[in-house]
Amino acid sequence: MSAVFDLADLQGNILRGYRKPHVRYLILEVADRIAARRWLAASISGRDHGVPQITTGNWGAVKPDTCFNIGLTYEGLRALGTSSSSLEMFPNEFIEGMTARALKLGDVGPSAPETWPSPFDEPGRIHIIATIYAGDVGQLDQVQQRALDRNALTLLGTREGYNFRDDFVHFGYRDNIMQPRFEGVHDPQRHADGQPRAPLGTVLLGHPTNLEGLTWRVPQPAALGHNGTFNAFRVLKQDVVAFEEYLDQAASDLLEHAQVDELLPPDAEAKIGQVMSVEGRHGALREIVAANLCGRWRDGTPLALSADAPDPNVNRANFDYDRESRCPYGAHIRRCNPRGGQIVQRVANNSRRLVRRGMPYGPAYDPAKRDRDKPEPERGLLGNFIGASLGAQFEAMSCDWLNLGLQDPRITGSNDPIVGANDPKTSWFDLPLKSGRTIRLRELPRFVWTRGGAYTFLPSLSAIRFLGSQMM
Amino acid sequence: MSSDEGLLDRFVDRLPKNPLFKRVASWTLVPFWARWTPVKPLPGGPHLAFEPGDNLQCMMNLIMPLKIKSPIGRAEAALAIAQNKDAIYAGLNNVGTVHFARFVIVGDNICMFSVYDGDFTNYIRDFIATIGSVFNAVVELVEGGDDVVPCEENVEAFIQWVHERDLYQVPDTATDFLRDQEALNGDKAASGNDNLTLLPRNMVLQLRANANVSLGSGYRAYPGFSVAQVRKQLRIGW
Repeated sequence: MSAVFDLADLQGNILRGYRKPHVRYLILEVADRIAARRWLAASISGRDHGVPQITTGNWGAVKPDTCFNIGLTYEGLRALGTSSSSLEMFPNEFIEGMTARALKLGDVGPSAPETWPSPFDEPGRIHIIATIYAGDVGQLDQVQQRALDRNALTLLGTREGYNFRDDFVHFGYRDNIMQPRFEGVHDPQRHADGQPRAPLGTVLLGHPTNLEGLTWRVPQPAALGHNGTFNAFRVLKQDVVAFEEYLDQAASDLLEHAQVDELLPPDAEAKIGQVMSVEGRHGALREIVAANLCGRWRDGTPLALSADAPDPNVNRANFDYDRESRCPYGAHIRRCNPRGGQIVQRVANNSRRLVRRGMPYGPAYDPAKRDRDKPEPERGLLGNFIGASLGAQFEAMSCDWLNLGLQDPRITGSNDPIVGANDPKTSWFDLPLKSGRTIRLRELPRFVWTRGGAYTFLPSLSAIRFLGSQMM
Repeated sequence: MSSDEGLLDRFVDRLPKNPLFKRVASWTLVPFWARWTPVKPLPGGPHLAFEPGDNLQCMMNLIMPLKIKSPIGRAEAALAIAQNKDAIYAGLNNVGTVHFARFVIVGDNICMFSVYDGDFTNYIRDFIATIGSVFNAVVELVEGGDDVVPCEENVEAFIQWVHERDLYQVPDTATDFLRDQEALNGDKAASGNDNLTLLPRNMVLQLRANANVSLGSGYRAYPGFSVAQVRKQLRIGW
């Protein structure tokens, strides 16, 4: 990976992922301002004992064994003694914090911040979220021990995730397929995906954005703001049992539907069965429903390229939504990123893209081991949604696209079928048929619940140096 | 119930309807109340809602005092709109979420009223990206506007500036109004000390702090539809 600017000034997980199998988040409160600043200075000192060193974007030829990064909340910047003239240049949504934006994010009812468990029940105390990536849990423990300086920081809580085999995630889909490719950044891991390269300002403050002529405010001094970015950290609980039961129910209903043969042509059943290892017509219909809700078959095949059955031979990344596309307008991946497809807010095509870094938490669901007498263990996704403007990217996508469906009149008034705040009394989702007609699914429950989170600022290395200096 | 009320109760209850009392109260009682219990102006714009239908056809009401308070200033404002007519149409077409935009001069204020779908900040940001020059032409004629133009280089500050000028939308029911007021003060419990059959003191004080407000959030003869839903239904493309 090479770039026209200094990669060593960026934290390492912004422009590319580490692809380590284990992650742990340390949720920290500043206990002592001076000691915490010293801790920040030590994290970029270049000494490899004591405080773990921040992994930069320029990690050289060999990926480090463990990676360490930090994000700061607004309260954290305050606790570190950042001047008020700098603080007031941060955007409103970051200053207010994730909990104040609950309605925009669909964090209502049992997802509301008032219901979040510790440490997210006291958002004002969350100052720093440090992230450790490693090959195994032993390494996580070691780095955590080095990171915790009792004089400087109080550990409020941790969250831990790990990768499943072949990048599958809890609902059984293959993830980790798409990330934006950036102008001026050569990344040999990413190939053409049918989308324009994102300007650097999509993800870094102080660079041109996707909205022509528009720039986001860079908190001053430049050492603090330039090359920084924002992260929406989310703990998203996934109800796999409800999801699988919904697929069962929808498949049973569809078997009785008059147009089922158009949805599942006779020759497709065998192919779906073969690729997805499922049996019979009911099994195939379950996969069709799962594929339509997401916009990808669970093996990652985009519906835009192969609508009748999954195809392991297609390029999973390179496609677009044209008029003939049979990817539902309301499918999850199409709502999050409508690519070049027609949308209402024409100016917004490609402008709300996000870098996503996430890993599952909790045990994988195994129907054979399910004990109906006991509650299922909590499982879900530890997600990071990174962009230079939380308001113009993460929030804009969450409220207008995921939970209102404003981008297309055919889905307006419905929520995202997978991550949306669905209420079975009003929810609906249209399965498109070849003829252009649709079959409407109803009574989708909410499958994903927010159980914590925070907006953080991911400072550049210069900013960490600035914040760590005693001269501030 | 009336039989339980004493003469004094009935006298006090009738006071707000008495013209002389109203006048005296405006001069003396209201300023006294305002000093006794200061009231913050409530924030403008539609009430945050989560039901999807509630977030369609939202109202923006801006009343912006012109810098030059004379017929010349008003004429400048009229020209700024007329000269940008084509850009305004292009903007409406490309942003795709605005039903109507109206410009009105009232006294020495230029007013901009619009009906839009979805989130307010997205609406303003998309407009800045599409026809920022029109915003600049209007806002530079307005008091305090110089701080936020050109809007393309001050996106966050411009959106905040507009939001601060968007009129508070007085809820249709007094209980909702009191709830807003309590939420602003960080108080979640109902106060219970306001008699809703009378003119609530908090509403009087709010209208003192916030002289221009919208009454209700606009009344429609039909449920909320998005611009694109209307255009699609009428087969005029979206």
